[in-house]
Amino acid sequence: MNPQIKTSITIGLVAGFVILLFGGWAVAVAGGMAGMGLGFFLGGKLTAKNPIDGAKEALVPTLVAAAILLVVSLLDDLVIATAIGKDPNSIGNLIQANLVGVLSLIFFSVVLAAVHTLPLKQQKIAQFILISFVIVSFPFVDQFTGLRWTAQIIFALIFTILALGLNIVVGFAGLLDLGYAAFFAIGAYTTGILSSPQHGIFLNFWIVIWIAAAMAGVWGIILGAPTLPLRGDYLAIVTLGFGEIVPVIFKNLIKVTIQEPLTCWVIPAITRLFGGNPTIACITFIKDVDLTAGEKGINPIGRPILPFIGEFQSDNSIPWYFLVIAIILMSIFIIRRLRDSRLGRAWMAVREDELAASQMGIDPVRTKLLAFAMGAMFSGFAGAFYGAYIRAIFPSVFDFSVSIIVLCMVILGGLGNINGVIVGGLVIMSADRLFLPALKDFLSGLLQNTILPALSNFPVAQAAVEQNANPILYRFLLFGLTLVIMMAVRPEGLIPSAQRKAELRSEEEIAADQAAAEA
Amino acid sequence: MEIFEAKNITKTFGGLTAVNRVNFTMEKGMIAGLIGPNGAGKTTFFNTITGIYSITSGEMTFDGVSLIGKKSFEITGLGIARTFQNIRLFANMSAVDNVLVGKHVRMHSSLIGQIAHSAFTMKEERESRVEALEMLEFVGLRKSDAETYAKNLPYGLQRRLEIARALATKPKLLLLDEPTAGMNPNETQDLTNFIKRLRSELGLTILLIEHHMRVVMSISDRVSVLDHGEKIAEGIPSEVQSNTQVIEAYLGKGNASKHNT
Repeated sequence: MNPQIKTSITIGLVAGFVILLFGGWAVAVAGGMAGMGLGFFLGGKLTAKNPIDGAKEALVPTLVAAAILLVVSLLDDLVIATAIGKDPNSIGNLIQANLVGVLSLIFFSVVLAAVHTLPLKQQKIAQFILISFVIVSFPFVDQFTGLRWTAQIIFALIFTILALGLNIVVGFAGLLDLGYAAFFAIGAYTTGILSSPQHGIFLNFWIVIWIAAAMAGVWGIILGAPTLPLRGDYLAIVTLGFGEIVPVIFKNLIKVTIQEPLTCWVIPAITRLFGGNPTIACITFIKDVDLTAGEKGINPIGRPILPFIGEFQSDNSIPWYFLVIAIILMSIFIIRRLRDSRLGRAWMAVREDELAASQMGIDPVRTKLLAFAMGAMFSGFAGAFYGAYIRAIFPSVFDFSVSIIVLCMVILGGLGNINGVIVGGLVIMSADRLFLPALKDFLSGLLQNTILPALSNFPVAQAAVEQNANPILYRFLLFGLTLVIMMAVRPEGLIPSAQRKAELRSEEEIAADQAAAEA
Repeated sequence: MEIFEAKNITKTFGGLTAVNRVNFTMEKGMIAGLIGPNGAGKTTFFNTITGIYSITSGEMTFDGVSLIGKKSFEITGLGIARTFQNIRLFANMSAVDNVLVGKHVRMHSSLIGQIAHSAFTMKEERESRVEALEMLEFVGLRKSDAETYAKNLPYGLQRRLEIARALATKPKLLLLDEPTAGMNPNETQDLTNFIKRLRSELGLTILLIEHHMRVVMSISDRVSVLDHGEKIAEGIPSEVQSNTQVIEAYLGKGNASKHNT
């Protein structure tokens, strides 16, 4: 079968799956997203030389995907909705939603594919306009259709910032860091301490976020320094240790006392040594201060305030969404420029061969410390945003699993590739936060309304199915399984960097891949 | 005028003395050869010069500056560059990027400048790239090779790319560690001519370790011989060739006496 059609069917089925899970207006959003993905894919394969021919060429595969989308959507509304006990859409709604979904799929797919035939510069501009349109309109579409995805997408975006930062350390400089959550925690706690009733300090969020980033960056250097002589596995173990220590420290900073050492310890000790009784007054700077509130956590943390919008509220996700998007755009901008600069080349050289790099005039200490600092800085931004968004932070949030999930995003998306890392972050987090809960609702609806009644004669089977049919229970199993499959099938990640691809695949394999794609 | 001077260099690893009280000087513009049997301490000597190993005792100066306690990248900054016995290119970076890494030490854009794309940074990047491409052409890589990954280049070109990367650091003294290893006679001849060009066109001082006797003897102004970490002979090629101790070191005692008769 022609690969264009094959991809259209795959994308159509994925979008169909989303519709099955969420039902109703999901068809509109899923259609738009599928159109974007399909358009990018088809654009890369076009043989046409001008936009009109390109659009014609892309139309057939697009229509295949649109047809699948429509069939699944109708099936969902007419058959499945009753099976899972959901109210089917009203006819008016149904027609509207499907019309919007199918049309936006066709529109995005054909237009994005057609722009690929334009000269590179115009193509970039056109893609930029389309993508920014989608990004800007998403929360409003989401609100209008009542899907309520935005709040979850914000989580995915916070983790995407973390993944972008970790990508500097692991992807660019090749330093395997298993304790990255430590810097996320440092960013969040800096925000918590400087902007909450805990200490009665209420600094403005717009100032705190920079302090948090700087704080995380400085701690990146402090925690990075002892790991410098280490490589590979040893480095990973030490960073793992730091990742475990930092949340524990935050948990235990509940009775902080800082005293001047000379008057409190040295002079009294000497006096006692000579049999005297210390009489000198001990200078204490702070005594028994509860810095982090331990397990209880810091709560509530101050929120950002903007003119016109006022204070950001938890029931309105839209300002938060745009804030996190702004942070991501800034991160991408900075990280891209770093990658293509002199420093980026130094990172790559150290990753490839540290000894040769040092012999060619690169200071490996400075280069690696800058990687730690830059990587940590972005998690400081993420931490500050997280603190303000959730309003409460606890040490248990920043445990080992955060470091591992972020690392998985980086590797799954494509180590060293900025776009890949973003896709990896969005895919993993939205799978975790959006799709699993939706799958759970879907399955429990199906159970209650269809399967359990059918099994009413077999109470043992009924109980077993009821207990085990909850995908949330299998969260880590599914996650692990995905990783195993990915690493076996496509070790370089979803969107690999050119270097990484070259590293993992031989020339012949790449040539064979290209030949297969052209055939 | 002496550009490099090493006095009584000793390097020990535990009980093993890899380099033993070696004195070595180089004059500006000379090509010096360093030979000796396997394990004689030639590469260790290189590594002490470039700061990979700190020496156990002795003194070392380059251009009047002491090299003792200097880090590798500082030594490169002073003007010493090297190639490696077993090629150590940045395999997954393009040829031109490899050369640009060599340029790193001569570039000055700041972190902020790199993020903000300051006028200075952009100018420096542009100029460095042009110079790097020129450097590739100088060592004999074609334009089409510039964006090829280093590891995908043929062996001979990898050797040349390594020299280009070393030249990009703008050295005064170039250390070549077995540059013709694994090359056929034609390639070896080309490279020999190329090394001569490096001196005549760039005015470099060159120290090379080499096993191809024909190469060493034909291009060196002076040949030094190391054996078991000690310098056993030094002089113009013809002197060294007839030195009994040298022949003994290479062929063993019995053979040496046979050679003499």
